[in-house]
Amino acid sequence: MKVPSMNEERGSLDSIEFAQAMDDHLSSLRYARMIQQALMPDSLLLSGILKDYFVVYLPKDIVSGDFYFAYQNGGYIIIAAGDCTGHGVPGALLSILGISFLNEILQIRVVPRANRILNQMREKVMNALNQRGDELEKKDSIDIALCVYEPFRGVLQYAGANRSLILIRDGSLKEYKPDKMPIGIAPLEEASFTNHRIEVEEGDNIYLFSDGYPDQFGWETNKKFKINKFRELLLSVSGLTMQKQKEHIEKTFLEWRGKATQIDDVIVLGFEI
Amino acid sequence: MKLIAFRIRNFRSIIDTGWQNISPDNITCLIGQNESGKTSVLEGLRVFHTGEISEDVLRSDLSLPEVSCKFEADGEAFLDKLEGAGNDLGELVKSQKDIIIVRSWKADLSSGLSIGGNILEHLEDIEGARRKHIEEIEKKVLCLDNDLVAAREKVRSAGNEIEKIEVELSEEPKKGQGIRFFKKKETDAGGNDDNRWKKLRDNLKSKKNIFEENSRYLKEREDLVESVEEWDNLKLKLSELDEKLKEVSSRLEERHQTMTLLSGPSLRDLSLGEWEGVLSDYKSATFEREEIIDKTDRQILLLGFLLDGMSRETAAEKSDARMKMDKSGYTPCLLGDIFFEDCPVFEIFEDFGSLLPNRIDLEDIVSANEEVEGYKAARNFLTIADLNYSFFQQPSTRILKQKIENLNARMTLDFQDFWQQYVGKKNKIRINFELDHYSTSHGDKAGKPYLEFWVKDEGERLYPKQRSRGVRWFLSFYMELMAASGKDKHLVLLVDEPGVSLHARAQEDVLKVFEDIKNNIQVIYTTHSPHLVDIDKLHRVLAIQRDDVENHRSATTILDAARLVNASPDTLSPLQSIMGNPVGNQEFSVDLFNIIVNDVGTFYLMTAAIMLTGYKGKIHFIPSTDPSSIPLMCNILMGWGMRFAVLLYNNDEELEIADHLKNLAFSDELVQEDMIVVMPEGFQNAEDLLSTLDFKRHVLHNREGITFSNSEYIKEKNLPRNFLLSKFLSNVKTGSVKRGNLDEETRENLVLLLNVLQKYK
Repeated sequence: MKVPSMNEERGSLDSIEFAQAMDDHLSSLRYARMIQQALMPDSLLLSGILKDYFVVYLPKDIVSGDFYFAYQNGGYIIIAAGDCTGHGVPGALLSILGISFLNEILQIRVVPRANRILNQMREKVMNALNQRGDELEKKDSIDIALCVYEPFRGVLQYAGANRSLILIRDGSLKEYKPDKMPIGIAPLEEASFTNHRIEVEEGDNIYLFSDGYPDQFGWETNKKFKINKFRELLLSVSGLTMQKQKEHIEKTFLEWRGKATQIDDVIVLGFEI
Repeated sequence: MKLIAFRIRNFRSIIDTGWQNISPDNITCLIGQNESGKTSVLEGLRVFHTGEISEDVLRSDLSLPEVSCKFEADGEAFLDKLEGAGNDLGELVKSQKDIIIVRSWKADLSSGLSIGGNILEHLEDIEGARRKHIEEIEKKVLCLDNDLVAAREKVRSAGNEIEKIEVELSEEPKKGQGIRFFKKKETDAGGNDDNRWKKLRDNLKSKKNIFEENSRYLKEREDLVESVEEWDNLKLKLSELDEKLKEVSSRLEERHQTMTLLSGPSLRDLSLGEWEGVLSDYKSATFEREEIIDKTDRQILLLGFLLDGMSRETAAEKSDARMKMDKSGYTPCLLGDIFFEDCPVFEIFEDFGSLLPNRIDLEDIVSANEEVEGYKAARNFLTIADLNYSFFQQPSTRILKQKIENLNARMTLDFQDFWQQYVGKKNKIRINFELDHYSTSHGDKAGKPYLEFWVKDEGERLYPKQRSRGVRWFLSFYMELMAASGKDKHLVLLVDEPGVSLHARAQEDVLKVFEDIKNNIQVIYTTHSPHLVDIDKLHRVLAIQRDDVENHRSATTILDAARLVNASPDTLSPLQSIMGNPVGNQEFSVDLFNIIVNDVGTFYLMTAAIMLTGYKGKIHFIPSTDPSSIPLMCNILMGWGMRFAVLLYNNDEELEIADHLKNLAFSDELVQEDMIVVMPEGFQNAEDLLSTLDFKRHVLHNREGITFSNSEYIKEKNLPRNFLLSKFLSNVKTGSVKRGNLDEETRENLVLLLNVLQKYK
């Protein structure tokens, strides 16, 4: 019987400790996922404020840098889908910060304006990350599409930080372009986000999403899904119920990805007016 | 009850003051030129309390005076006084935070009280409903009266007709006579005659029916007929009384005219006794008229019940009961009397009218002879000393002298305390009074008792009149206050030109005394002196002037502190004596509308905002040194008679100032709306008009994330606000910052600001 060498013995001990550490690490991450999900709106809240909706939420890792947000303030419904720089733990931490800031901003009793919410959110993120425009500082940020729905007026305000909004009405798609700046420091000096005012109609489908879906490489094609294909996908499913749309979008994603690695977190949030 | 506002109408030069608020801190100062009507206001308030006026207060058009006072009141406490008040009235009284009492005078110069405000409206609604009910019955009765007249006419005319027809029918030939003598003829004409007699008989029958029917109608309405006749008689009597009253009133007016215009002897030149007769006629006619009105009302109610088919007895019972019920309710006059019981006492303090005399006969005090010089002061003195006539009837002169000595010592100590407490200085003067009797050299008065007053100072014994004016004034005032404090009612002290001839320092002492007593006594005083106006408290000022300042016969107008802008320079002279004349100072503009803002930083930003928006309104911002100085700025601008408003931001300190100003100078609601503007929530200071992005870009010039309001950020970081905002203004002036550089949030805020400023264009 071979007597294990000192090194072999140490190696075996290290691997046990490593496994133990990994186990602890995974437990922490799972717990963190639970906390992250608890911060995002549950189905009860969403179904209470939206006529019909779906959320395709596919984190790349245990925790996600993508998040979605919903809030009702008086007669206003605020919906957002965000994508934080990176993924995994750093992205998740920033997403938690983003959710907290949105909640904080919306506590103030003023008429909510989509662009002003993003302006304020950017100030808070920059303040939290101590961003002042110095070259060496961290450039972490959040891309987000945020809309304020005013059901009593039939109006949807939209403002986007690098994330667009898609509206499908009677089989035709319209994409509202975002401002090319993130929630966080950017090379150019901060400017106000644009507030788009969209008059919506009953039956309109609205989609907010991160870039995880269109940027996903396919196993078979080794190419990105791309935004055009994503638009076509949304157009093709827009006539279905929200639940069916969700199933179809998820199925299409999984089929497209195949055995390829998921490159980023994915969020697609759709709702019907 | 505290006096909070007054309104005087038709009193000397005053046509209508409109409602004028008394300063809530209990000191109200009336300023104005000589003959402007200041004293009339004081007198108007005094007669509200006493009810006694003479012809000389009437205006030349002889409109009768009316003085209304509004008092702070606890409606719930009043409920105890209103036993049996209906639910509606009870609830209304309970909800009252203030009560208006009106005193109005009649042609005979007697006066009556009445409740005013919404309680009066409520009672008038009830009376209106009662009147309407009576009018409706009157209409029915008038219809009935017409019917009765028509029925009587029908009975009369039918009676006449019947009589005529019966005479004609008596000529109808008996049957057979015609046949025997005019057989042939009868054959031809007989048919016609028969028809004629038949017609006459039919007509007779019909007339009899009419007669009977209408007679029955009248018979059935015998009670009504009788009552309507009584009603007609009452109406006739009432119109006779109205005529009489008109005539007596015109005679009274004639007398008032004579007395007010001093236009020589009366046209009728009646003796005093005859005038008393006229007055008595007026009173009895007024009284009788009230009675007849009651009787007429009762009669009409009775007729109403009769028309409803009741018997005369039942209708009489019912109408009596109804009248009793109506009369037992609370009338405006009754409520006026009830609430007046709790009203403060209005006392006029006349500087030296209230001064102790050197000597006064005890007899004059006992008989309350107000004509005697110093009576009021002597009466005050005895009130303070708690003395009455019996005190002086002490048989033992030694005991009496001892008692007087003790009283003198006590009074002296009390006065010295007062002087030190209120005037803040030491004074060693001693007050003395003595009882003595006239010597035989005084003729009729020989042996009669009199009181003599002395004021001693370091052994020197002087009569009150020989003392300095300051000592005299404060001694008089002390006695007035002490005498008033013995009364269990709240006091409104009306002081006409206090300390008019005192040295400036002594006048300031007078003001100090007012300050010290204001918690217990409301003071309303008139003055020309700048030393008697507190520059920090111009909300206390009411400016009084003539409509036409050149014409002393024109009507008096009162301007409250917020409207001093409309006062003439002469009226404002006491204020400008303290503050100087604004015209030389270019920071203030008489032509523009001045808007006071909290400080210089805000002034810079507001000026920049005006430039950025291109606003063309004629406004001018005036910076205060800090928010706490805003009331002082208001005082200064008020004193200078300038048009101004205050723009306040929505922070705790400025909100408190808004409340303070609203409670003082800007108490009138309309004025509040226009003259105090508080920016909406979220605008804690002027820099919050800029969006965070514009604030960073154009004021701070850095990219740091700001997570709270701009104003909070400046405070938190302790930044040089005035410097930053002045730089911003300078960039706006040079064109480095233009409207187009601002984001939509800032532009929206500027529009909001413009909307606020629009009204001052």
